Amino acid sequence: MDQQKPAYLRPALIAGAVAGLLSGLPFIGIGNCICCLWIVGGAAMAAKLLAAATPGVLRAGDGAIVGALTGIVAAVVDTVVKIPLQSYNMELGRRILDRVSDFGTEMPAGLDEILNGSGMLSPGWMILGLFVSAAVYAVVGMLGGIIGVSLFGKKALPAAPPPPSPATPPPASPGPPDAA
Amino acid sequence: MPISVAPRSVRRVWLLTLAGTVVWLAAIVLAPWLAARGASGPARLLYAVFAPVCHQVADRCFVLDGHPLAVCGRCLGIYAGFAAGLVLYPFLRGFSRVALPPARLFVALTLPMALDGAAGILGLWRSPIGLRFATGFAWGTILPFYFVAGVADFFRTRRERAAARALERPGSNKVE
Repeated sequence: MDQQKPAYLRPALIAGAVAGLLSGLPFIGIGNCICCLWIVGGAAMAAKLLAAATPGVLRAGDGAIVGALTGIVAAVVDTVVKIPLQSYNMELGRRILDRVSDFGTEMPAGLDEILNGSGMLSPGWMILGLFVSAAVYAVVGMLGGIIGVSLFGKKALPAAPPPPSPATPPPASPGPPDAA
Repeated sequence: MPISVAPRSVRRVWLLTLAGTVVWLAAIVLAPWLAARGASGPARLLYAVFAPVCHQVADRCFVLDGHPLAVCGRCLGIYAGFAAGLVLYPFLRGFSRVALPPARLFVALTLPMALDGAAGILGLWRSPIGLRFATGFAWGTILPFYFVAGVADFFRTRRERAAARALERPGSNKVE
């Protein structure tokens, strides 16, 4: 059994940065409202990168680790990206709120207050938000990483053919190829 | 490929996941319950916890005491499906081995939600909240079969690597 520890950090940093960037951008970040699309997708991508870089079969536990790391990196990048975009996001949110309320749609509780600048966007709330996001994204990322391993992680080990021996006759009927 | 693990380890992961899911579902219901009773501070905090993972648009949420739940109907379906899958886990998979579900099953359960969501985004179809809940529920049921297996395997991998390191250490003949 392969006890070698795969290099989790590089795939997690790459995929986490992409997922965090997509999560933090206006409009595109809404993708996370669809079952944490960017985080689950990012973690699955990290598992794919890990599978490509690891000479061996990945295990579900490897997907859990790389997925959780991806989620944490994504939460940090997401928060950092949102800082300069905060005023733009609030202006955009206010415009969307105005447009949506024209159709009589009720908006989330307290959103008006937040968009008017008196809500939860102080530095303290942002740090708390970072911890909450990191915890939630780590769990969701863990799930995405495990799904990623199941979808992309199965790799057939290259079966080394036995060295040809003139003294040994070839087998009469070859067995089925080992896919695992 | 199924891997044998200590049943106690899988059972522990399953129990912790079950407890976490119950707390998560309770928090979703607690937010409107608190809001309806005038505890707007704690209610806002709970709504804020779920904000990174759900749009929380009120007319897409189920309502309790005149206030929307902390997540939309589809997200609630996913979490409820997750809970249902967890309850089924011991009967369908057992605790003595971990194996990930086949990719085909994952695709089959993801497809209804993906199609419904994509059609909604493209403006082709506006699905009722019941359908959103149902497609989310279907997807959610398969997720614990990944989560429990993956987390149990993570702990197993850690133990095995620690044991291997202990064996490799010069002068060490004791494995914890």
